[in-house]
Amino acid sequence: MKILQTRYWGMIMLAMVAALTGCGGSGSSDKKEGEGETVKIGILHSLSGTMAISEVSLKDVVLMAVDEINAKGGVLGKKIEPVIVDPASDWDLFAEKAKELLLDKKVSAVFGCWTSVSRKSVLPVFEENNGLLFYPVQYEGEECSTSVIYTGATPNQQLIPAAEYMMSAEGGAYKKFYLLGTDYVFPRTANKILKAFLLSKGVPKENIVEEYTPFHHQDYQTIVSKIKQFAAGGKACVLSTINGDSNVPFYKEFANQGLSAATCPIMAFSVAEDELRATDTEFLVGHLAAWNYFQSSESAENKKFVEDFRAFCKKNNLPGGDKRVTDDPICWAYTGVYLWAKAAEKAGSFEVSKVRPALYGLEFDSPDGVVKMDTKNHHLAKPVMIGEIKPDGQFDIIWKSNGLVNPEPWSKLTSPDKDCDHVAHGGTYTLTKK
Amino acid sequence: MEKTKDFRLYLAFIILFAILLPLGNLMGFVSNNTISLWGRYFCFAIAALGVDLIWGYTGILSMCQAFFFCLGGYSVAMHIVMKGATASGTSGSAIPDFMVWNQINALPFFWVPFQSFGLALILGLLIPAAFAFVFGYFIFRSRIKGVYMAIITQALALAMWLLFLRNETMLGGTNGLTDFKSLLGLSLSSPGVKLGLYLFSLAGLCGTYFFSKKLVDSKFGKVLQAIRDSESRTSYTAYRILDYKLAIFIVGALLAAFAGMLYAPQTGIITPGRMDVRASVEMVMWVALGGRGKLKGAILGALVVNFLYSICTSLFPDSWLFILGFLFVITVLYFDKGFLGMIEKIGGGIGKKKNKITEVAEQQVV
Amino acid sequence: MNCTIKMWLGICLCLFIGKRASGQSDSTSIYVGHILYPSSDSARITALQKLVKHGEPSTFPFLAAINEKKIFLLDGQPVTTGSAQQLADGSEVFEIFYLYPKSQAVLNSDGTPKLLPVSSLEKIDISRSDRLSMAPILPYLNLANPDPKKRIIAYGQLLTSSDSSKINVLSGALNLEKDKEALTAGKEILFQLKLEQAKSETVAKAYVDSLDSNWGENVTLILKDYSVSGKLEGAKKYAAGKVTDLESLQGRIQKAQNLFSGISLGSILILIALGLAIVYGLAGIINMAHGEFLMIGAYSTFCVQKLFIDILGIKSDLFFFVSLPVSFIIAGIFGLILERLVIRHLYSRPLESLLATWGVSLIMVQLARSIFGDLTAVKAPSFLAGGYQVMPHLILPYNRLFIIGLTIIVVSLTYLMLYRSRLGIQIRAVTQNRSMSACLGVETRKVDAITFFLGSGLAGLAGCAMTLIGNVVPDMGQTYIVDSFLVVVTGGVGKIAGAILSGLGIGFLTKVLESFYEAVYGKVLILALIVIFLQFKPRGLFPDKGRIAED
Repeated sequence: MKILQTRYWGMIMLAMVAALTGCGGSGSSDKKEGEGETVKIGILHSLSGTMAISEVSLKDVVLMAVDEINAKGGVLGKKIEPVIVDPASDWDLFAEKAKELLLDKKVSAVFGCWTSVSRKSVLPVFEENNGLLFYPVQYEGEECSTSVIYTGATPNQQLIPAAEYMMSAEGGAYKKFYLLGTDYVFPRTANKILKAFLLSKGVPKENIVEEYTPFHHQDYQTIVSKIKQFAAGGKACVLSTINGDSNVPFYKEFANQGLSAATCPIMAFSVAEDELRATDTEFLVGHLAAWNYFQSSESAENKKFVEDFRAFCKKNNLPGGDKRVTDDPICWAYTGVYLWAKAAEKAGSFEVSKVRPALYGLEFDSPDGVVKMDTKNHHLAKPVMIGEIKPDGQFDIIWKSNGLVNPEPWSKLTSPDKDCDHVAHGGTYTLTKK
Repeated sequence: MEKTKDFRLYLAFIILFAILLPLGNLMGFVSNNTISLWGRYFCFAIAALGVDLIWGYTGILSMCQAFFFCLGGYSVAMHIVMKGATASGTSGSAIPDFMVWNQINALPFFWVPFQSFGLALILGLLIPAAFAFVFGYFIFRSRIKGVYMAIITQALALAMWLLFLRNETMLGGTNGLTDFKSLLGLSLSSPGVKLGLYLFSLAGLCGTYFFSKKLVDSKFGKVLQAIRDSESRTSYTAYRILDYKLAIFIVGALLAAFAGMLYAPQTGIITPGRMDVRASVEMVMWVALGGRGKLKGAILGALVVNFLYSICTSLFPDSWLFILGFLFVITVLYFDKGFLGMIEKIGGGIGKKKNKITEVAEQQVV
Repeated sequence: MNCTIKMWLGICLCLFIGKRASGQSDSTSIYVGHILYPSSDSARITALQKLVKHGEPSTFPFLAAINEKKIFLLDGQPVTTGSAQQLADGSEVFEIFYLYPKSQAVLNSDGTPKLLPVSSLEKIDISRSDRLSMAPILPYLNLANPDPKKRIIAYGQLLTSSDSSKINVLSGALNLEKDKEALTAGKEILFQLKLEQAKSETVAKAYVDSLDSNWGENVTLILKDYSVSGKLEGAKKYAAGKVTDLESLQGRIQKAQNLFSGISLGSILILIALGLAIVYGLAGIINMAHGEFLMIGAYSTFCVQKLFIDILGIKSDLFFFVSLPVSFIIAGIFGLILERLVIRHLYSRPLESLLATWGVSLIMVQLARSIFGDLTAVKAPSFLAGGYQVMPHLILPYNRLFIIGLTIIVVSLTYLMLYRSRLGIQIRAVTQNRSMSACLGVETRKVDAITFFLGSGLAGLAGCAMTLIGNVVPDMGQTYIVDSFLVVVTGGVGKIAGAILSGLGIGFLTKVLESFYEAVYGKVLILALIVIFLQFKPRGLFPDKGRIAED
């Protein structure tokens, strides 16, 4: 009996050690770089929970890019092997999964995150472990991490051109601006920058109003009547950073109170095709949005991209099938994979320390035309467009920037003393006054 | 027999987690990720002990333990963030980053005490305890129990979650508190500190386990179990049930807060997401799956469920919810004593007589 | 459509006869040509500006089509599309209208209207900046639009127009206005303009009175503005007095509106909580997956709609009436399956049932996500769009009214079933004393199964109703579940009357508190109120009586 029990415990111990290290050390048995047939990349997008609604499309498009690259023979002769994990819209789990991808799975790059809280959660992990994250969503800037490649827009690639357009004769020469947003970091920072910009252009303080509503806010009656009062003198517009499911009730109320795109247009920074896919667009028609990419872009590359994405979704039986749409973050998630593959080819290695410098100044022929990585600050130079919402949930492109707009992670308006340079200064640095 | 068995179990646990894993880490077999993962699981296990004391031993189903957990976590996080701001802030702008974009220029009054580490620790325990006292007093006084208790505490968790999400509460809103640099001058990113925190959590878990064991074996603990088995009969024998329930509710809240304090620096972020309705139900789930009414069960449940959560979200990103869901259902249906019961069944240990007694006792738990 | 376009043109013409007496000139048609076939980039905008400046009524249909981005070329002629018709193969064809020089329908040789798909027309893209140059004339384009909503916007635009003759144009248009709402809105603008120009106090006061009795949307705002920045002292004071009256009236209307929103929220909570209450009362099951049955009901509605439109090709509101019973039955069947597989083993073990059903809810949400994806919406039937206007400023949306009606019907049916049928007696008997009823020959297992079917079906019905309000997403069940648990607890577990009363109470209090504080603080206060309430009634509004109540 006694012997039996000892053996029993011994077995349990052995099994437990195996399980614990098995989970932790699965990476250790991997072949060293250059020997294996595949190279691993991580996909860190929520597939369940509240953010799944937006992030699943990004996972799909990254997989599509991987398929395409593999079909052409992979990178440096190796096929890409995507490692998909589900951080489940749980911000703590984002950090945990990032650690796992970098330390245990030993991936060469990670494509992921949507919300700024998830990015903030994984940031220290990537910095500590010398990882590389491709972040595809427009964000608030004021960040310049060595470990993140920001393929989404910085404030000056979305907010400022849109505000400039609204002030121009072509856009309608608006003089009064109502800055309305959901209460979290992106709208707060965006409006801080917009306000600084408008003030610098001579818009008087009393012609700018700032207002926030909580997440999932539905009742916009009071706010729209405030806007109505504000717009009474004419030449007023709304710059909206309202997020997600609050948009439809807001636009509905806007139309109900007699405001229209002709009298007081709404310029939105968080409304894209994917969100309009299943919503009733009746009340949104004629209003504007600023992005770096629209599905309705006429170029041949884009048409192919849209077709490919639909075919991919249909082939893999993804929900929505061939009715799926592309939008700005989808385009940049896709571009991110290609940028990484090109940089790895250029560097001749998958090592982060070699891929990173290879990315500087890299050009890529994206669905949006040729885009170019900045030579020093980890962001992407790309065109800016303004679109008008159509009844089918697509956008009419009504304005496009002349060529590419260079990224400014630290807005010149709110942080004139700061800049980002990874080549000479190793990240954010403070300019010395001359 | 029982004693030696326990002793062997403790020994195995200690050898595995206090010796093998850290040694493996120092020698490079075990990655830093595994270490910090288990460090965090230990925190969950401490909180689970609290749930087990309240629910498993006293029969009060509290669904707001995650809120207490976060109160602890936030207090330590507030201290770390404040220190970070003081270190990097130029010319006296010692306010956390998120307040800058919130356009708040002066430090809110309730942040001030958290500049001191000692005060942060004390407040991190005092606030949840006070909260548990006030809320518990009103609830137990009106003899709310069973399902009512579960739902009321769940609503409390929901309300507090909504409050923490707001920016006006000046606790970071949805983004919570992040960007933790150092604690007491130690850099949180260095592997040594991580290992230290891991060992500290392990020690915390062992400490709280033995404390809880002492507690449930004492006369106090026996009264708790009497309350669980029949509240009215216990009250007829002149025990002041309110006091006992309140005391154990506070102890549970303190354990959760203590766990939260250890959790925040190891995770590197604390957000309101940690205290939503789901988070609290999950804590109860750990205990239910591990084996309710047994302290070992609570620890086992917290460790195993979280380990599975980590593994499944990586191995089966598309279907992990199915797997965990089925696991919950099947465990509840067929193994009502949880994993611990399962192991004992397989091991075929312990006499059948004892089993029957606990069975009868547990059936009366409401 | 044909006749409305003609009428529209007619109105346009008569409106502007007094305004500008100019015939159809040659230059106008030249400019129209420039717009359609611009010779250079700037030619189009110049021509458009010229047309706008001329304000020639015969060009208005043409300009309106440009403004709405519905301008096409058919055989070199500018045309626009009218109402759509669906062909047997599912494709859409449109009526076509010529725009210039005359606005008339395009006919086939046999005199029937010509129907064409959009793809056979050549679309003309006119840039937004070009369209914006029409801003000064926009109100006139829409003054005679057949859609009253557009006319209201047009009236509003007149307010900011710098045209000196706008008052005459507006009163001319208002003489022809038939729509009540548009008339009120138009009159308000007219009175406001006249008030601003009023020279004597008596005239000004008269307009203040007219504004007051007209009682449009913005009257308080207008009078408030006038009471601050008006020119005539006496009239200003008079306006200020009116503002106070109006505000107190609006306060009362606001209260009525809150009452209505409260009842509407309450009835949603009742619909959800009803099933929960029955199941808990009978079997001692806390069903955490109850919200997921609501989700199943919503997805059934979505599927029925898809079936009707995509497969049967019926584009009518009928689908909604079909989906009501369908969602009830499908959710009920799922409930039955759940009962058979899981719940059966857990009777009278409420806390275990809570955990098991939590697991079930995880599975169901993920199942819905992998089948349907993340975001879908049911298009609400058209007869539920809009609202019933009790009095000016108090509109009760039809969809909310429908939900209230549905709740009343469902609650009465449930009541009848429980208290007037044989099954009801059995359910109540098992609820009171399971073993005793079993001894007396009640088949408790069967009763359990039927009850669970009913409870889940009621949740499904609630889900069907919820599609009228919001999107259909996999985790929609979680939104209301905590609230409906609170309803069950406050009402007294297992009590229908309690669920109704507390559902209404919580719904009403939520809305009232929301109007004073923000939604979040309202919720915290509700919770505090419930805890205080339970201090006095620890077992809810209608507790069980007798010894059985205590453990």
